[in-house]
Amino acid sequence: MRRVALPIAVAALLALGGLVALELLRPAGEPTPPEQARQIAGELRCPDCQALSVAESQTAAAAAIRRQIVEQLAAGQAPAQVRAYFVARYGDWILLEPSSPFAWWAPPAVVLLGIGAFALWLRRGRGEVPPIETAPNPGAQDRIREEVEQLDA
Amino acid sequence: MRPARLRWLLVPLVVLPLAWLLFTGLGRDPRLIPSPLVGKPMPAFAGATLDGDRFSSTELAGKPAVVNFWGSYCIPSCVDEHPVLLDLVARHGDDLRMVGVLVNDTPDGARGFLARYGQVSWPNVLNADASISIDYGVTGPPETFFVDARGIVLARHVGPLTPAVVAEQLAALGIEP
Amino acid sequence: MIPTLGHLAVVIGLAATVYAAGAFLHGGHTGDAGVVASARRAMYAAFGLAALACLAMVVSLLTHDFSVLYVARNNATTTPPFYSVISLWAALEGSILFWTLLASGWASLVLYRYRARLPALMPWVGATLALGTAFFFAVMAWPGDPFVRVTPIGLEGNGPNALLQNHPFMGLHPPLLYLGYTGMAIPFAFGMAALITRRTDEEWLAVVRRWTLVPWIFLTAGIVAGAWWSYAVLGWGGYWAWDPVENAALLPWLTATAFIHSSMVAERRGTLRTWTHALVIATFVLTLVGTFLTRSGVVNSVHAFTTSGIGAWFASAIVLTLAVALGLLVWRLPDLRDRRPPGAVVSRESAFLFNNVLFLAVTFAVLFGTLYPILVEATTGARASVGAPWFNRVNAPIFVALLFLTGVGPALPWGGASWPTVRERFAIPILAGVGVVIAAWALGVRDAAPLGILGLAAFVLVVMGDEVIRGARSRARSRGEPVPVAVVRLATRNRRRYGGYLAHVGICVMAVAIAVSATLGSDRTATLRPGESLALGAYTITYDRLVTEPLASDPRVIETRAELTLAGPQSGEIATALRDYPNSSTAIATPVVRTAIGEDLYVTLLAFNPTTKAATIRVFVNPLVMWIWAGGAIVALAALFAIWPDRRRTAVEAALAAA
Repeated sequence: MRRVALPIAVAALLALGGLVALELLRPAGEPTPPEQARQIAGELRCPDCQALSVAESQTAAAAAIRRQIVEQLAAGQAPAQVRAYFVARYGDWILLEPSSPFAWWAPPAVVLLGIGAFALWLRRGRGEVPPIETAPNPGAQDRIREEVEQLDA
Repeated sequence: MRPARLRWLLVPLVVLPLAWLLFTGLGRDPRLIPSPLVGKPMPAFAGATLDGDRFSSTELAGKPAVVNFWGSYCIPSCVDEHPVLLDLVARHGDDLRMVGVLVNDTPDGARGFLARYGQVSWPNVLNADASISIDYGVTGPPETFFVDARGIVLARHVGPLTPAVVAEQLAALGIEP
Repeated sequence: MIPTLGHLAVVIGLAATVYAAGAFLHGGHTGDAGVVASARRAMYAAFGLAALACLAMVVSLLTHDFSVLYVARNNATTTPPFYSVISLWAALEGSILFWTLLASGWASLVLYRYRARLPALMPWVGATLALGTAFFFAVMAWPGDPFVRVTPIGLEGNGPNALLQNHPFMGLHPPLLYLGYTGMAIPFAFGMAALITRRTDEEWLAVVRRWTLVPWIFLTAGIVAGAWWSYAVLGWGGYWAWDPVENAALLPWLTATAFIHSSMVAERRGTLRTWTHALVIATFVLTLVGTFLTRSGVVNSVHAFTTSGIGAWFASAIVLTLAVALGLLVWRLPDLRDRRPPGAVVSRESAFLFNNVLFLAVTFAVLFGTLYPILVEATTGARASVGAPWFNRVNAPIFVALLFLTGVGPALPWGGASWPTVRERFAIPILAGVGVVIAAWALGVRDAAPLGILGLAAFVLVVMGDEVIRGARSRARSRGEPVPVAVVRLATRNRRRYGGYLAHVGICVMAVAIAVSATLGSDRTATLRPGESLALGAYTITYDRLVTEPLASDPRVIETRAELTLAGPQSGEIATALRDYPNSSTAIATPVVRTAIGEDLYVTLLAFNPTTKAATIRVFVNPLVMWIWAGGAIVALAALFAIWPDRRRTAVEAALAAA
């Protein structure tokens, strides 16, 4: 039963993966203005909080900013323009995600480097067989001595 | 260099950048956020004042100006800087114009603060919808903007004003302390 | 008088730990057991002195002695006794004092436990611990004196930070976390001793296993308790914001978890030994980085203590510790060569190694994101910020990969796996995962994240279940026991393995709960007048009245309560409030959380109008939140199960294992 199971399992997995890919690749509908406003508010840092977005925060400043976002979207501004409006007043700091590309490619680059080094290690480590350890293992010897003494006691 | 010795390079390679990062980090105050308005014309604003009049920032043209954002609840910072503001206007009221802007405050609360800590001669704009504080990128009172005679923002100070900061900014504005 | 005694205790404690460090170093070098014994006694004395100093501070807080600056800043005559006592760790200087107490406590415990054993290692362990504790005494003796006096003596103090006296968890989260942080010095000290004495074989790992898991349990519990507290107190309905100080607690947890896994391989197979040493060094250094970030004012955070000169001391300690430890590791690198050929590409060793790589990837990402603002400002002068969206986006894929690995690792054999083995072990689990995803889809779940995590969790659980059942079946057959009994017997005889399984179960529970609560929740905000209602999902909330009155426990605090009636799957009278503390410019929200097995109902009072009695409330329905805390508890209990001593192990068995 298990012999047949794996090909079925893999087939099912691939089918699922295909469905997911189709779902993700389907063009998303236009976000409604409230959704847009919420998304922009989620990308802005609340100016007088710690680490909260304007969408999450309950302070008066955040409420005022949310009001302005809604007003600007209603006046026909594009989301990018609304973001730029706040950056012009507060600085880059108001954005919760760094705008510099470096912040985006640096971590995945390091991760890929790590995986690459790992793969290299796997390849290289094949050929080497370290010599059998014949050197005395002082730690183990101490423990053996201790335990034997405890037995004798 | 023999490969075996090469591995010692790892130590400075790891330690030095970390040391640099940590120590330069110590020099920064994360609460001091540089304002993008510095070097640009001051954002215009207008509104009702605490006394019931209307104020427009166009009235500030021609002379250096100090825009002070505050609130009656901001204790002890706004309490600490209030005498400094009073002193500033008493000595240089002819050379510059001072205007206060309330941040997230009620007229009654503000009047109570002034009654307790000292009435002021300059206008205080109500800023009820917070549009002025957003235009100036205010993160929380007290914040003070120093504007030169041409209307260009010279500096922003976050936190209560001290005589030292005032002296520094007056010098930058070209006013004899 | 009492504060002076406290300060004196600190100064003498410094002398004691400095003496202990020197004596341990001398004793380690010369082998003089008498000197080593005197050093040990000096460390016990240091613990006693730290306890005295803490007692002095607690007494000063309870008696509201405002001649002490720390008390004047963090205490008031109206502060309830419970909050007075826990104000010991509410602010910078007091928290360092508390840290020193715990660090010296751990050191004394481990030195006492091994006072008659491991004579080659212990002097170096002691020296490392003594130096570490001496550093904290020194910080208290100079830049961070908790007993500094203030004149003139005020009649009233500032009172504790409003956020820190709102919830009893303030008494739970910091102690748990600090016990975890300070306990990580023990495996580090053993690692250093092993490198110095060249006893880098399995001995130090066998000793260190328990001494790493216990602080790890505290650290896990502390982080989860912190998230729970943040959820219950801060009012935004969330529990983790990737705040710099939250990250500071997570970083050593990540490397400690990697260390625990890596040391299993090092102990059993003799490979990954360099990794293991590097990870234990990284864990300890990251605990120091954590306290640095919290105390130096370098990053802005909910926890930010006041800026002070302490930052430079911590930065120097971090750099020095890393330089010495790394140098030691590089020096002894030849000793750490693998004792066995590496496993095949598809083997448990490789899975563990990949596990290390992934944990390090998350550690790097979190560290990068936390320090990025400093990096940007140091190089360009601009001000950047990194918030939750970045962390979530970068870390989510790595966490998913790690979850996958928790299913794959335990099912792969050591050395290498053949294709038939892979086929046999993973076919059913993959089918189970796919089945769960389809079932969830059928039930209406459409978001990718919960679907994916549910499928993955099912995969992991089935793999582990398969392992357990298979083992139990074979035992049941050979011994004639019923299968459930066989499971229990196997578990108690293989605590490490089964504790590991249970811990992974806890992780799966947490992963599912986090994914579901993050994506499938809902919320609404509305301004209501008395008598009006708000509906969200199956719940209806009716706003009854607004009540304003001083708190019974602390009359200086004015609480404005919106009293509500809840109808739906959970029902009853609830109240959510805003509290006005005299030393805080904004009112502090006191949200109400009603927890049920499937979901939490969470209500925050955002604003109120005293004249019209209108109240603006925000209502959340957060599914499965209690399972995050439950999952964390499972993980902690599983680790406890894993380290629980097994009386059955005889001395002969132990000796055989060591040979």
